[in-house]
Amino acid sequence: MSAEAAIAEAMPVTPELQHAVEQFYYREARLLDNRQYQTWLTLCSESIRYVMPARTNPLVDNAARGDEAMISVEHELEGVESEGTPIRNETYPYLMLRVERSFKPNAWAENPPARTRRIVGNVEISNVLEDRLSVTSVFHLFYSRPGSENFLYAGQRRDVLLREGDSYRILDRVIVMDVAEIALPTLGLFF
Amino acid sequence: MRISDVVSDDASLIRRQAWSDPDVYALEKKGIFAKAWLFLAHESQIREPGDFVQAYMGETPIIVSRGPDQNVYANINSCTHRGLPVCRSDHGNTKSFVCPYHNWNYDVTGKLQAIPQERHVEGRPDKSQLGLKAVPRVESWNGMIFGCFDPEVESLDDYLGDMRFYLDAFFGRFPQGIEFYGAPQRWKINANWKLPVENQLGDVNHGPFLHAAVIPPEANAEVFELGLSAVPKPGHGATFRLMPEDAPVESVAWGFEGLATLLGGVEVQEYLREIQAQAAERVGPLRARMKGLTYGVYPNLSFLWSNTAFKVSHPRGPGQVEYWCWSVVPADAPDEFKKILRGNHTAFFGPGGILEQEDSEAWVQQFQGAKIENVDDRPFFYGLGLDEEKAHPDLPGLVSVTANEFYARHFFKRWRAALEEVES
Repeated sequence: MSAEAAIAEAMPVTPELQHAVEQFYYREARLLDNRQYQTWLTLCSESIRYVMPARTNPLVDNAARGDEAMISVEHELEGVESEGTPIRNETYPYLMLRVERSFKPNAWAENPPARTRRIVGNVEISNVLEDRLSVTSVFHLFYSRPGSENFLYAGQRRDVLLREGDSYRILDRVIVMDVAEIALPTLGLFF
Repeated sequence: MRISDVVSDDASLIRRQAWSDPDVYALEKKGIFAKAWLFLAHESQIREPGDFVQAYMGETPIIVSRGPDQNVYANINSCTHRGLPVCRSDHGNTKSFVCPYHNWNYDVTGKLQAIPQERHVEGRPDKSQLGLKAVPRVESWNGMIFGCFDPEVESLDDYLGDMRFYLDAFFGRFPQGIEFYGAPQRWKINANWKLPVENQLGDVNHGPFLHAAVIPPEANAEVFELGLSAVPKPGHGATFRLMPEDAPVESVAWGFEGLATLLGGVEVQEYLREIQAQAAERVGPLRARMKGLTYGVYPNLSFLWSNTAFKVSHPRGPGQVEYWCWSVVPADAPDEFKKILRGNHTAFFGPGGILEQEDSEAWVQQFQGAKIENVDDRPFFYGLGLDEEKAHPDLPGLVSVTANEFYARHFFKRWRAALEEVES
């Protein structure tokens, strides 16, 4: 489909659509904080791409001074297409493996299990094309593990959601973490 | 407390203070991080003049750069004037490093080029004496750049000794060697720096226990049946499986233990089979059968063969590690294969790794255990397989089964000697 045709077919973001997508994210957050990872996995498409780019401190390009591009977040990310190594670059089988691990008593890092509580907000639907929605959202995730201090995770999620009947599945998720220094117990959680 | 009280003569008993006492850590800084060769970077990270990456030697920040003369330079990242870092980026390409405070300007080799304020005074400081502090010894082996603060240290070749035999079993397999793929993943772990080191130096036997939730029993069985642990020189170590001569090619070939290869398609699998088919020619028939597990180079460099990462455990006091790890890929591989193969590392290791989350938790807990008081009569036990290691007809160094903890005993004997040398 040509770019013009795509724009022509793009749908408006109605209050109903916004509401439905927010409800989907609230449900997802509740499932994850309730440790219902098996149910959460049903929200993921089997074609899911689940990526957390690495985030570095590159040299500032003097030629770009005065321009917003100079300090753009994108410049800091080593994602799937980069000649670098994303922190996570996963498909459905990897997520299955992580879910399976969560329900084994010898997954020692989560025995006893960690407590989490996340707030998902700033839900912004940027593009609606047939059955696909591009959505960005942000999260603050409180993480507490027995015998340890508490941690705060913050980041942005860039999703492509696939509309399926009344609900959605996650087809693509890029998680941009906001910590400059990773002083967190693991980035292997479900975000 | 003397260091000789911390480590018993045969190093089978080690008091918990080895991992938790600030006085012990102060001795480590003097006796190890100021004296040993420390890994800095791989040459593939700084190919062009002006390329640089940041590194650490212990807690000391280092800039590693490629000069206009193609030589590698390593300088302490601290302005001679007021001590600020002159480089604030992890990596890049530049003509100069400039201190933000008064704009003292250094070239990529560390030479001071300009003091903007000097034109307002009469005297002219001697810039040739005011460059960045250079690391006195910098040497490379197989693209691996090391630095040492002791100008009198033995050559890097001698320091590595027969560890080169084991490292080259990996590097030498690939027609153009290996390259580091992208910036290191770096994260902080509230544990002592030696705990990740010991884990990779030879402790592969925690696999069936700590990682039982993820590692399948057949992979563990292979380690017990075919696994060997070698100490080519105290402080260094290599663990690997020596596969039977008639083993199918993909059961020996590097790269087939990762999910990324298995999901990556037939082309990348064919490429890896071809590499293995040429291995005997490149590294000899014996090393072609080696299927590595984990390696350690004294004091704090580790290499994870099976999931292909180099790692450095940088100390941040006795109770914190800044762990750096780089994905490693064959230099000759097409870019699309490199992008597949990097995933063999990150899915399982690194800050988001499914296995590493158990490891880092174990190190944090061990460090907590090392701080417990009123247990001085319960030093940690390192006596499994005491004196069972032997010379091997074909492999350099002492060799034994992987359950033998001799890799750690040799490390701690060397550690004890290094600390006794600087103990007052």
